[in-house]
Amino acid sequence: MTAVLIQRVKLARLAAGPLALAFGLGALAVARGPGRFTTYAGRSGLAATLTVTAGLALVLAGLVTAFNRPAGRMGDLAVLAGLVWFAPVWVGWDKGPPLVRSLGMLAAGFAFPLLLHLVLAFPGGQPRGAITRALINTVYLEAVLAALGLALFRDPFFDPNCWANCSDKAFLLRRLPRLVYRIGVADRWFTAAAAAALVTVCAWRLLRDSGPARRALLPVALPATLFAGAVIAHAAALQRTPLEDPSQAAFRMIFVVGCVAVLLLAAGLVWAAVRMRVQRRAVARIATSLGQAPPPGSLQAALAQAAGDPELQIAYWLPNSEHYVDAEGRPVAEPTAAPGRAITTLVRDGRQIAVVSHTAALPDLERELGAAVRLALENERLQAEALAQLDQLRASRVRIVQTGDSERRRLERDLHDGAQQRLLALSYDLRLARAQAQTDGDSHTGSLLTQATDQAQSALRELRELAHGIYPAVLAEAGLAAALATLADAAPLPVEIPDADQGRYPTAVETAAYLLVAEALDDAAGRDASHATVSVHQDGGRLVVTVEDDGTDRAAELVQLADRVGALDGRLTVEPMRLQAELPCA
Amino acid sequence: MRVVVADDVLLTRQGIVRLLRDAGIEVVAEAEDAQGLLRHVSLTRPDVALVDIRMPPTHTDEGLVAAQTIRAQHPQVGVLVLSQYVEPSYAMRLLQEQPERVGYLLKERVFDIATVVDALRRIVDGETVIDPTIVSRLVGRRRRQDPLADLSERERGVLGLIAEGMSNRAIAARLVITERTVEAHVTQIFHKLHLPESADQHRRVLAVLAFLRA
Repeated sequence: MTAVLIQRVKLARLAAGPLALAFGLGALAVARGPGRFTTYAGRSGLAATLTVTAGLALVLAGLVTAFNRPAGRMGDLAVLAGLVWFAPVWVGWDKGPPLVRSLGMLAAGFAFPLLLHLVLAFPGGQPRGAITRALINTVYLEAVLAALGLALFRDPFFDPNCWANCSDKAFLLRRLPRLVYRIGVADRWFTAAAAAALVTVCAWRLLRDSGPARRALLPVALPATLFAGAVIAHAAALQRTPLEDPSQAAFRMIFVVGCVAVLLLAAGLVWAAVRMRVQRRAVARIATSLGQAPPPGSLQAALAQAAGDPELQIAYWLPNSEHYVDAEGRPVAEPTAAPGRAITTLVRDGRQIAVVSHTAALPDLERELGAAVRLALENERLQAEALAQLDQLRASRVRIVQTGDSERRRLERDLHDGAQQRLLALSYDLRLARAQAQTDGDSHTGSLLTQATDQAQSALRELRELAHGIYPAVLAEAGLAAALATLADAAPLPVEIPDADQGRYPTAVETAAYLLVAEALDDAAGRDASHATVSVHQDGGRLVVTVEDDGTDRAAELVQLADRVGALDGRLTVEPMRLQAELPCA
Repeated sequence: MRVVVADDVLLTRQGIVRLLRDAGIEVVAEAEDAQGLLRHVSLTRPDVALVDIRMPPTHTDEGLVAAQTIRAQHPQVGVLVLSQYVEPSYAMRLLQEQPERVGYLLKERVFDIATVVDALRRIVDGETVIDPTIVSRLVGRRRRQDPLADLSERERGVLGLIAEGMSNRAIAARLVITERTVEAHVTQIFHKLHLPESADQHRRVLAVLAFLRA
């Protein structure tokens, strides 16, 4: 059914061309002949040419728009407006068929509403916003009421201000000259007010919209403003001189400005249609320009360039984690519509792939994207999903390492605050008991208690070493250089640390560097190294820790170190006698 | 001798206070945190403050910071820091500004009252006290080209005692030799290690510690 309908619409559009040509040429004939004194077009060859060219241009622009954009109603609006544009000429067909002249009078009042509708529906074909829609509906309603009132109750014979048609009245029911006069005045000022509203809406949109949308709106909004100005000027001129007279310079001037505005409007529509076609081609071609393995974000850049919209943004939907991410997998807010910005949801195989926020100057984005671009989008979505998961994994790895570190720190403190205090108390009690035994002269118990005291002292020493091994407090308090110096003091082989960096770094970085050196020194001792050299220095935003030794070749994998360094986004280089970690520390 | 004791653990503090009193030392005040310690020191002007390195709020090095403050504000008040950490850098931090009347002992010696009282006495006499464990770790440190290898056994012993903060007279008493012999050893040691010989016995502690760590 829709196919049939589309076919009919296409046929009607095809018929509109010849029909308009006939209307236009007929109007030209009327203007140059019987309507010479009763139409503006008839006043001069230039006026006739302007009138007919403007109407035909509007029809042509309408057809270009309509065939360029199947879903758009704008083209049809422009064609209709173009046809109606000729009506005032037919009204002035002196001695012509009364029905034609009366129909012309009915139709002439709709030129302004149609043009207003056309401008406000640009560029998407659907007027945006409730106020805009209300304005369009009100203007149509007023045009219908005014046309009916004039057709049914106006007898041109009794109208002192009549000029174009002072005889024919095909639909007259009853003569009501006073009412007709009031309708005339009311219609004039209502139309002027509507024209002012049109200018306001255009200006507001131009102010509100961002770059690309504004640039797309200008070629239509500026002629529309000019046309509205002509409408307002016409109303003002009639207020001063109730008898409309095309021979007067003021009226002629206003008429010419109106024609030029319509011509410019038609040109603007054609320009917009051509521009959109170019953009559409560019959008459709994106996929081929991307190449084999485009880096994340290149699709957005290509689409933005093709659409001439640098603010274009693609947000990919991740169904598992239920949020949007950019091409790099970083979470982004759900794009929302804004003034001058449109939102297009892209679906593939019934599943949402992405949401694109783009300029409203590019409607129907969904339709423009070819299969290749959709495939590229789906690919990039998968890539973004993988990157997002990678980010999560990385964050979780960092958390695991950090949790481990803070657990170490907590354990170290617990040992000092718990076990050590108890051992100290025990040691105290043992000493008291020993003193008591000595006082009592019990040398056997005394020597047992001396042994026990020594045991408690040994336990305290071991506890101290254990706590230091778990987490050296000096690392947190005095930093890496101090902790490494202590490490070198107790190392099983000579360790040299020339010019260690004295700076402080994030805890995770200091801990990783410390543990790296500790493990490297143990490893070096295990490989019979005679000495080791440790260097710590900052290079740009990285802390570079290097441990070199002269032991036998390294066999161990050092997986834990690699994990720890990797968790910090650093790099671990393992060579037979050299270990280097580069840790981001900015 | 008048002493202020600062330790946030009540049992330990009471134990120390009791042992000190039994040893005939006058404990003029007790504190459980750094602020209390500084207040009591200002009020009572003791000969020595006995300070635990771990005190509230962070239980890290508050005691060390407080000790440095006391040394800066009341040069006549000595400080003995009791520490859980075999950290030469902490001990050296303590010596850096005021190399006399300070001591750094390991916490596990706190109830070895003879050691504590000896350390307090030495501090009151203007000496420096560094825990032997720290010194022996530094002396025993592995070195690639060990300058200490040139020292005789006896000289190495003397070097250790210097690092512990002992005066020549105390070293002579400890090793049961004459003070002149000690002086000869010291000259020999400083010559062999290429250290500038300092008449100031306090400053030489820091020089030796720094040398041992280099």
